[in-house]
Amino acid sequence: MRFLEDIIVKFGSVDRRVIFVLIGLAVLVPLLNPIDLAIRPTPSSQRVYDAVDSIPDNSKVLISFDYGPSTKPEIHPMTLGVMRHILSQDRGHKIYITCLWPDGLYMAKDALKIINEEYDLVEYEDYVLLGFRPGNEAVVKGLASDLRKVFTVDAAQKSINEIPMMEGVNNLNDFQFIFTGSAGYPGTFEWVQYGADPTGVPLSSGTTSIQVNEVMPYVQSGQLQGILAGMPGAAEYEKLIDTPGIAIQGMAAQSYGHVVIVLFIILGNLAYFITERRERKY
Amino acid sequence: MPFSTILGAWIAVFLTLGIFSYLYRDNPFYKIAEHIFVGVSAAYWAATFYWTQIYPNLFGRLFAVDSPFASMYVLDKGHEYNGLYFFPLLLGIMMLLSIFKQINWMARWGIAYTVGIAAGLKTFGYLSSNVISQIKSTAVDLFSGSLPFFAMPGDSIFNNIVIFIGTISALMYFYFSREQSGLYGRFTRLGIYFLMISFGASFGFAVMGRISLLIGRFNDLILFSNPSYNYGTFWMLGLIIVVLGYWSFQNPEIKEG
Repeated sequence: MRFLEDIIVKFGSVDRRVIFVLIGLAVLVPLLNPIDLAIRPTPSSQRVYDAVDSIPDNSKVLISFDYGPSTKPEIHPMTLGVMRHILSQDRGHKIYITCLWPDGLYMAKDALKIINEEYDLVEYEDYVLLGFRPGNEAVVKGLASDLRKVFTVDAAQKSINEIPMMEGVNNLNDFQFIFTGSAGYPGTFEWVQYGADPTGVPLSSGTTSIQVNEVMPYVQSGQLQGILAGMPGAAEYEKLIDTPGIAIQGMAAQSYGHVVIVLFIILGNLAYFITERRERKY
Repeated sequence: MPFSTILGAWIAVFLTLGIFSYLYRDNPFYKIAEHIFVGVSAAYWAATFYWTQIYPNLFGRLFAVDSPFASMYVLDKGHEYNGLYFFPLLLGIMMLLSIFKQINWMARWGIAYTVGIAAGLKTFGYLSSNVISQIKSTAVDLFSGSLPFFAMPGDSIFNNIVIFIGTISALMYFYFSREQSGLYGRFTRLGIYFLMISFGASFGFAVMGRISLLIGRFNDLILFSNPSYNYGTFWMLGLIIVVLGYWSFQNPEIKEG
C-alpha cells in the first residue's frame, strides 16, 4: 500500500513538461491515426438543428461571423454545417452575412469559398456578404432599427441599393432566422440583448466551449433556440446533417486528451491528500 | 503551390512552434512570436477600423458630394453631408492628444462620451435580457402536473425543482446583510455547492475549448508537414529544437530554492 502511495505521490510531483508531452501525444496520435467514436447529439444541438429545419420557405437568413482564426477550429465547422444545412434544404433561402469581428470577414470568405465548391452559389442571388462594421453592440442595435444606415455598401463596396437581394431588407425584422458563430465580445450576448429579444426573430448560436456556461441560461429561457457548444457541438451538428467534417475527426483526439487530463487531476488530488496525511501524521 | 502560400505556411509553423516552445521555458522564439502577434494584431485592427469606419462613415459624411468642402475634396460613399460629425472627429482628436502631458486632460471628454454611450446601451440590453427575461424563466412549472416528474432530456418537474432551489439558494448566498448561520446558513451552503458545480462545469468547458484549439493547431502542423509544403513542419521543428538546445546549454535554467 505504501509502495502504491509512493508512486502516486511521485506522479503528483512530476515535472509539468511531462504532462504537456503526454497531453500532446494523446491529442496528436488520434489525429494521425483516425479513430471513429460514436457521437450522440445533445438536446441543445438538436434544438439548433430543429430551428434551422423549421425556417419557412424562401426565408432570409442572417449569419454573423463573430470569430477569428484563433477560434476557427471550434466555430468554423459550425457555421459551415449551418450553411450546408440551409442550402441542402433547397427551399429558396437567401443568406446574408455580417461580421462583428474584423477577422470575421476572412472567416466568411473562407467559408463561402468552401461552400461554393459544393453548392455553386451566385453572389447577390444566393448570398450577400455585407461585411464588417466596428461598433460592437451598436452595430446590432443599428441593424435592429435601420440596416441601411449601418451598411451603405457591402464588403465589395457595392451600394446595397443596387443589390436586388437587399430589396425589402431594412432591419432585423425582415429576417426569419439569425445564426451567430461567436467567440466572445461582441457576439451571442449582444445578438440576444439587442437583436433577438427586441425583435423576436429566432436566434441560434454556436459558441466557443468557454462561453457555453454563460450562454446556457439564454437557451434554458428560450431566448436562444439551442446552442452548438464548441467543437463537440459542431461534431454533433455534422452528425445531424450527415456530413462528416473536421469536427467529427477531432472528437477522438478531444476524448483521449480529456482522459489524460482527468487521470492527472485524480492523481494530483490523491497525491495531495496522501502528502497532507503524511505531514499530519509526522 | 505558389511560393507565397508555402512561405505563409512556414511562417505559421514557426510562430506556432515558437509559442509552444514556452512550454519548455521562456525563450527568444516565444518572445519573437508573441511580439509579432501583438504588433500585427494592433496594426491590422487599426487599419481595418480606419478603412471600414472612419474613412467611409466619418470622412464620407464630412466630405460628401453635397458638403461645403466639396470644392477641396469629395468622398462619395453614398452618404449626405452631416456637420454634426465634426463633433466625433473633434472628440477623437482630443483622445489622441492624451499623449501630450500638458493637454492630456482633453482625452477625458472623449472617454466620458464613450463611457456614457456604452452605459446607456448596456443598461437597456442587460436589464431586458439578463434580468427580466431570466427572472421570467425562473418561474418554472412545479405544480401543474403537465410535465413528467423525471426525464433525462427535456423539461421535467425534477429539473425545475433543481433550477428553483439552485437559483434561490445561490442568490441568498450573496445576501450578506444577515449572518449566514443556522438553517439559513445551511441553505446558503447549498447555494455554494451549486456555484461550485457551475464553476467546475466552466472549468471543464474551458479545458474542452483549449483542447479544441490545440487540435486545430495540430491539424495545421500535420497539413504543413506534407511534401507540397516542402515538409515545413519538420524543418522548423528541427531548427527550433537545435537552436533552443544550444541556447539552453548556453543559458542553463536557474532553479529557485
